[in-house]
Amino acid sequence: MSQSTSIGRALDDERAFKYLLIAPAVFVILLIGLYPFIKLILTSFQNITMFDDDRSFNGFIHYARLFGDDRLWESLLHTAAFTAAALPIEILLGYLLALLFLDPMPLKRLFVAVILLPTVISPIVAGSTWRLMFDHRFGPINQIIAFLAGEEVKLLWTVDPFLVWPAILVAEVWQWTPFMFLILLAALSNVDREQLESAQIDGASWLMTFRKIVLPAITPVLFVAVLIRALDLVRLFDVIWTMTGGGPGTRTETISIYAYQMAFREFEISYSSAIAFLVIFALTALVIFALRRVEIAR
Amino acid sequence: MPNLQLRNVDKFYGGVHAVKDVSLEVPEGEFIVLVGPSGCGKSTLLRSIAGLEEISSGDIALGGRSIVDLPPRDRNIAMVFQSYALYPYLTVYENIAFGLRARKFSDGDIERQVKWASEMLAIGDYLQRYPRELSGGQRQRVAIGRAIVREADLFLLDEPLSNLDAKLRDGMREEIKRLHKQLKKTFIYVTHDQIEAMTLAERIVLLRDGIVEQQGAPLELFERPKNLFVAGFLGSPSMNFIEVELEEGGAALRLPDGQSLAWTGSLTLAPENGEFIWGVRPEHFSVASGESSDLEALIEVVQPTGSRTFGSFSLAGTHVVAELDARTEVAADRKIALNVDMERTACFDKLTGEAF
Repeated sequence: MSQSTSIGRALDDERAFKYLLIAPAVFVILLIGLYPFIKLILTSFQNITMFDDDRSFNGFIHYARLFGDDRLWESLLHTAAFTAAALPIEILLGYLLALLFLDPMPLKRLFVAVILLPTVISPIVAGSTWRLMFDHRFGPINQIIAFLAGEEVKLLWTVDPFLVWPAILVAEVWQWTPFMFLILLAALSNVDREQLESAQIDGASWLMTFRKIVLPAITPVLFVAVLIRALDLVRLFDVIWTMTGGGPGTRTETISIYAYQMAFREFEISYSSAIAFLVIFALTALVIFALRRVEIAR
Repeated sequence: MPNLQLRNVDKFYGGVHAVKDVSLEVPEGEFIVLVGPSGCGKSTLLRSIAGLEEISSGDIALGGRSIVDLPPRDRNIAMVFQSYALYPYLTVYENIAFGLRARKFSDGDIERQVKWASEMLAIGDYLQRYPRELSGGQRQRVAIGRAIVREADLFLLDEPLSNLDAKLRDGMREEIKRLHKQLKKTFIYVTHDQIEAMTLAERIVLLRDGIVEQQGAPLELFERPKNLFVAGFLGSPSMNFIEVELEEGGAALRLPDGQSLAWTGSLTLAPENGEFIWGVRPEHFSVASGESSDLEALIEVVQPTGSRTFGSFSLAGTHVVAELDARTEVAADRKIALNVDMERTACFDKLTGEAF
């Protein structure tokens, strides 16, 4: 009896020691993860602006305001539409590029490294550079178009409401297609060569081979890549911020830019907290839904 | 049904000459085995026939028609890969049906063909499973099933048994042979395993460094090897090579350890200075029963396998293995008297390695 309790105590001691070991890590995670999140939720129920020191709670007023905020829904629509446009283009271009690099070729590593360069550039720098590229007077894009067209062009890429989104799309696709390329290259290199040869001998068309062999083999990897990129695109901020600042007007305002504007231009701290919570809620729901799908597929 | 012809086929990989001027005639319905050590060009040759590799020069013809410019799908061949190359995301049924679907067969035809193949290979119970749910042997059967459902002119098998364990391999070997008998199609089978080559082939083509060293019926190659390489490659344990000297008059052989034995072998044309390499297979030895014996050996290691026993001894540094009757009482470190079946031994030139 006394022996078993002493064993029990030893086990308790051991467990306590384990908790002690992970305590610092848990503390840091709580501090930088959970605390701001709770603070965010609290703030969204308060009445904080930067104009006064009113910190009173006002219930769901900010959340009610979300529903009537046309600018908010417009920015969400921008975000969704841009994600829906950019993602397939990045996948397709990345896939085609990866196909090019599947076969052995001289200096392959060097070429891959060069292709990957855009992704290692800071988005802020990339955005600023693309704004210069698209500048209507000095930008090389207009000059190239002028050269090809044979006459002077003054396309207002970062101002014209019909040209700003294509310009941002070019910058974003330029920067992130290499990411898709790299992941798809790795996935495609792992497709079993003998299976492809066997399909060749069986007489399968390109489409049949792709649908029955290649696509199922790369789907898990492709899925993760799409998820990462989708999350990136939903919180897209820096490239647009540097290229157009969300303008003209609110034409290129995404949800992130709108939340930023609300917090640091309009100083509506509590309201922007409510927006941020909405975004977090939506993204979490998206991720959970996506992971479910993966598990079902398995 | 067409026969296969290879005419002066060459294949270079960059600077490597993998297949060197190989010509081969395969009549319809023959079971031919390409065998050789790794890197001898046998797989390259098979893949060239399949159209998975382009040949550098020469011609491959099926039924008199050149197929070198045809893509694999138009050559009407079927292939079984070493890794099986089953499609992991399709069921066994769909794996077998794949080639038929690709060729737009009707659902009824597909079902009939798959049923026929799966019954023949005894995999009818697994049709709705996925390849990952099958054992190695079952996967192998599916791979074969996928090859036989299409009415291909030519079956190419690339080391199909090398991923199986020894026991399964023996069983599948027999089944492949039976399959060939039933289908009456041309089989080209690549292996590095000389036992598979000997047991399966109607004709063996033995390759080394991209060159056909010798081709012919298995026993012909076994009994009358053209050179030291062929003699050493076929047979397990392999042939013993002993440097000997024919004594003046050609009546006796002097072994490296000084023993001499009366020579009644078939060597008629004595090489200059009488030295040559004497090829004796383990089974050419037998324990001397009566008074007379050909040579004495100090057995160093005994390896009983149950059905037969191998005893190793050395003759002045030359390692020799003799196959002995399993019931002989032999112990290591004992001297025994051996007889040699002189008529069946082989003699090779010391310099060129060619058989006399």
